[in-house]
Amino acid sequence: MSEPVDVVLVDDHHMFRAGVKASLDARVRVVGEAADVDSAVQVVHDVRPPVVLLDVHLPGGDGGGGAEVVRRCVDVPGTRFLALSVSDAAEDVVAVIRVGARGYVTKNIDPQALSDAVLRVAGGDAVFSPRLAGFVLDAFGAAAGDVATGDDELDRLSAREREVMRLIARGYTYREVAGELFISVKTVETHVSAVLRKLQLSNRNELTRWAAARRLL
Amino acid sequence: MTPPPGAPPQTAAPARVRLPLRRPEQGRWFAGVATGLAAHLDVPVALVRIILVALVPAAGAGLAAYVFWWITVPVGDPAAVAAAARPSALQRLARRQTLRSDGRRVPWAELALGALLVLAAAVMVAMRLGADIDAAWALPVLVVLVGVALAWSQLDAVQRGRPDGRRISVLRLIGGGLLAAAGVLLVAGQAVGQGVEPVLLLQSGVAALAVLLGVGLVMAPWWVRLARELGDERAARAREAERADIAAHLHDSVLQTLALIRARADEPAEVARMARAQERELREWLYDDRHEPGTSLVAALRAVVAEVEDSRSGPSGEPVAVDVVVVGDRVPDPDTLALLQATREALVNAVVHGRPPVSLYLEVGPDAVEVFVRDRGDGFDLEDVGPDRFGVRESIMGRVRRRGGTARVTSSPARGTEVHLCMPVGGGGSGRGEDEDEEHEA
Repeated sequence: MSEPVDVVLVDDHHMFRAGVKASLDARVRVVGEAADVDSAVQVVHDVRPPVVLLDVHLPGGDGGGGAEVVRRCVDVPGTRFLALSVSDAAEDVVAVIRVGARGYVTKNIDPQALSDAVLRVAGGDAVFSPRLAGFVLDAFGAAAGDVATGDDELDRLSAREREVMRLIARGYTYREVAGELFISVKTVETHVSAVLRKLQLSNRNELTRWAAARRLL
Repeated sequence: MTPPPGAPPQTAAPARVRLPLRRPEQGRWFAGVATGLAAHLDVPVALVRIILVALVPAAGAGLAAYVFWWITVPVGDPAAVAAAARPSALQRLARRQTLRSDGRRVPWAELALGALLVLAAAVMVAMRLGADIDAAWALPVLVVLVGVALAWSQLDAVQRGRPDGRRISVLRLIGGGLLAAAGVLLVAGQAVGQGVEPVLLLQSGVAALAVLLGVGLVMAPWWVRLARELGDERAARAREAERADIAAHLHDSVLQTLALIRARADEPAEVARMARAQERELREWLYDDRHEPGTSLVAALRAVVAEVEDSRSGPSGEPVAVDVVVVGDRVPDPDTLALLQATREALVNAVVHGRPPVSLYLEVGPDAVEVFVRDRGDGFDLEDVGPDRFGVRESIMGRVRRRGGTARVTSSPARGTEVHLCMPVGGGGSGRGEDEDEEHEA
């Protein structure tokens, strides 16, 4: 087996950090911890880890929480963020994704899946929980059958991306999605990363309106 | 309203917190100054009144102090103000303090005003009848004073916030203004009668008006800012009330669940179930838009999920959590009701016979509502289920198909079981996008 992936753990609850540390398997190594925005920025700049597990709600800084940490760490190349939240609120999640986090998982994720997610983010791929897939389908109006015809459209999902998102929302793992659609896991990852890019870059009307309605802007 | 940042945190100590200085409605004799002072200083009202009266002969100090407080201290119930000023987080922790109230209140202030007016009128009549009273200057001044007092008294009425307060306060203002104008005219008449030039009087009147106007212009920005701050404060108070409402709800339900959990700590399945139910309720309070009942299919679905989670257990008696993801929402109708009932049966099947995690996905499109219920059990073959077994065949598939929907069950040992229900619906879905252009997937 190759070297374990170094991870910095950012969460304001000590108990939760301890729990995550104990549950991560041998493929992941925790090299730093932080409990608020300022110390998180400091630790990330010092350690420069490949992956940061980041709670969405954090005290300190300018009150921007996890999103503020991501923004203040853009000058650290090679560090990717995986948002971790107990919240169901779209505004919390999408705010962190929009500033550049590579994915979002809920805190009740099982330990194996969390380690998988960390490795996936370290490998440059995106991690979508079922709930985030639901947000995406909602925000891009995909449920109404509004899909893109060309690949370069930022404001709509392609039919294939919509299909992948729907399967993830239904609780399928990447592997199961690949099996269901007769494509490789790598292709699934490509689709998910494309969706993440759209979520970050799109200024689609609906997304803007949807974000505004949820006071994200 | 908020305590200064450096102040020590308020504790729920039994010591009485000093009430703020307000002029309460209950128990007042005149303007409530003595009652308010007594509540503020926590001394008997009678003592305050005696001291105030005793101070009147001392160059009118008692009277001056009374009038000063009357003008500067706002009307209000000190206890209520104290309660509102307390942080909502402590709302349930602190003891409420109330004033002893005797309910009725005689409008002494108004009666006194009336008596003064009657007195003035009586003196005027007496002068007409030839009585030699040297009140040439005193009378008009008295009329002006009463007018001013009447206008000022609207301050009380507005602060009391009665529904008809605005109308009455306008009446008071007009009445006060008329009286004051009459008083001024009387003074002017007196002056002309004593040989002052009317032109000079007019000039000084115009000059006084100009000064008034100038002062008004200078004060206007300050006045506008004051009004704006008042609006802000009202909005903040509304937010605070909402927060207090949530805090109270959370305190109640969370504390109750924690007590239950402690009492049943030796039953892990029951504890897990209660923790899950409480988590669900908290999430609903914190993150969901609270819909009116009967307007949201999603809310109805969540209620169904809650019921299944609370009442059903997995094969070995453990509680099973259902991961719910929803996209879109619409107003429920009979078709979606049938869909919900079928969904409930599918969920019960997944929880009781399948294996967690159980996933539920609801998608509301413009033409159809789709539901996927998935578990990771060993699966079963629909063909093996006897025709006498009503579970899947009738309660899930039959319900949906009778309404023109489709139902499909896919099951395999490797991938678990997935029930796919699809119910066509008319318009009215919140599948967004008014700019819907074309193109459903092939």
